[in-house]
Amino acid sequence: MRLTIRSARGALLALGMLCAGARLTVAQSPAEPALPARLGAPAHSAIVAIMDSARAAGLPTTPLAAKAAEGVLKGADDARIVEAVRSLAKALGDARAALGPAADASVLDAGASALRAGVTPAALHSLGEAGAAPSGPAALATALVTLVDFVAKGVPPALASQSIEQLLRLGAPESRFETLRNEVEADIRDGQSPEAAVTSRVKTNVQQLGAPGPPHPPPSPPSVPESTR
Amino acid sequence: MSEQRENDELTGILARATPLLHDEPVPRAAWREAVLQAAGRAEVPVAWSVRPIVAIAACAACLILGAAITYGVLHDRMERSARDVVASAGGSVRPGHLPVRFAVEAPNAVHVSIVGDFNGWNPAGLPMHLLSDGRTWEVEVGLAPGRYAYAFVVDGRLARDSAAAESGTDDFGVPNSVVLVGGS
Repeated sequence: MRLTIRSARGALLALGMLCAGARLTVAQSPAEPALPARLGAPAHSAIVAIMDSARAAGLPTTPLAAKAAEGVLKGADDARIVEAVRSLAKALGDARAALGPAADASVLDAGASALRAGVTPAALHSLGEAGAAPSGPAALATALVTLVDFVAKGVPPALASQSIEQLLRLGAPESRFETLRNEVEADIRDGQSPEAAVTSRVKTNVQQLGAPGPPHPPPSPPSVPESTR
Repeated sequence: MSEQRENDELTGILARATPLLHDEPVPRAAWREAVLQAAGRAEVPVAWSVRPIVAIAACAACLILGAAITYGVLHDRMERSARDVVASAGGSVRPGHLPVRFAVEAPNAVHVSIVGDFNGWNPAGLPMHLLSDGRTWEVEVGLAPGRYAYAFVVDGRLARDSAAAESGTDDFGVPNSVVLVGGS
C-alpha cells in the first residue's frame, strides 16, 4: 500500500513536471497562425503542406493562414480555399525571387500584391533595385502599396511601376508616397482620369525631387486586371 | 597525519555501509505481495482499495492541468493579439503603428466586429463597440503602414465599408474594403 501511494505520488509529480514543461515549450515557441477548424482534413493537410514549404523557403506564413481564414469566413469551398492559398504562396515566392533574399515580410506581402495586380516580375525586380537605396525597405513597402493602389484605381500597371520606380530612384521618402496617393485620389475625385492624375502628379514630384523629367508612358499599356484583394 | 585521518574516516564509512549491502532490497510493487507471502508475512488488511481512488485523482489532476494549460495558452494568445492590433483612442500604439478608426452604422445589430488582413480574418478578434447614438459601431486599431483588405461582420454576416475603397474581386468572389495606412 505504501508503495502504491508512493508510485501514484511519483506519477502525479512526473505528470505535473511534464505538463509544466509542455506549458513552457508552448509559451516559448513563436506564435503560429492557426488554421480555421471548419476546413476538412484533406484541405487542412494541403494548406499545412503549403505553409511548411513557404516556411522552408523563408516566406511569411501569416498571410497564408489569413487567406484560408478569409475563405472560410466567406463560405468558400475547401478546394477554392486551397487554390487561393496556393496562389498566394506562389506570388510570395515570385516576389521573393524578384526582390531578393533581403526583402522583409511587409515588402514581400506588398510585392505579392503587386504581382497579383498585374505588375511583371521584371518590373518588380527593377522596383526592388530602385528601392534598395537610398529609400530603404520601409519606403519600398509603401511604394509598392502605392503602386497596387494606383493599379486598383485603373492606372496601367506598366505606367504605375515606372512612375513609382522613378520616385524610388530619386530617394523619395515614405511620406512622399502617402502624399502622392492622396493627391492622385483627389484628382480622380475632381474628374481626372487615373492615368492622367498619376502622370501629372509624378511629374510634379520628380521636379520637386530635382530630377530631369517625368516618366514616359509605355507604348502599349496592357489591360488593367482587377485587384486580387 | 591528515592521510591517516582520511584513512580512518574511510574505514568508518565502509564499516557503516557494509551492513546495508546485506539488507533485503526493496521489492517492486508488483512483486511485493508474492515476496511477503513467501516470507510468511501478510499485508496489513484494508477494507477498501486505494487504487481506483488514486486513478481517479490522477485523471482529475490531468484534466485540471490540461484545462489550465489550454486557458493559459489561449489567454496568452488573446493578450498578444490585443496588444498587437488594438489600441484605444489616445492610448498606446506600438512603435511604427498608426491608430486607424473604423466605424459602421448598424442600428439594429446585436454584435459587430471587424475582420481583415490585420487580424487573420478572425471574427472574434476585434469586436466593435456601440456608440451613444445607438447606431454607430466603432473600433480603433493600431496598424503598420500598408494596404489592408477588411470587412465588417454584422450579426454574423459580412458587410463592406461603404466609406472605403473596394478591393474589386478577390479570391472568393466577395469584394473587400481596403484601407491604406500611413507612409509618413
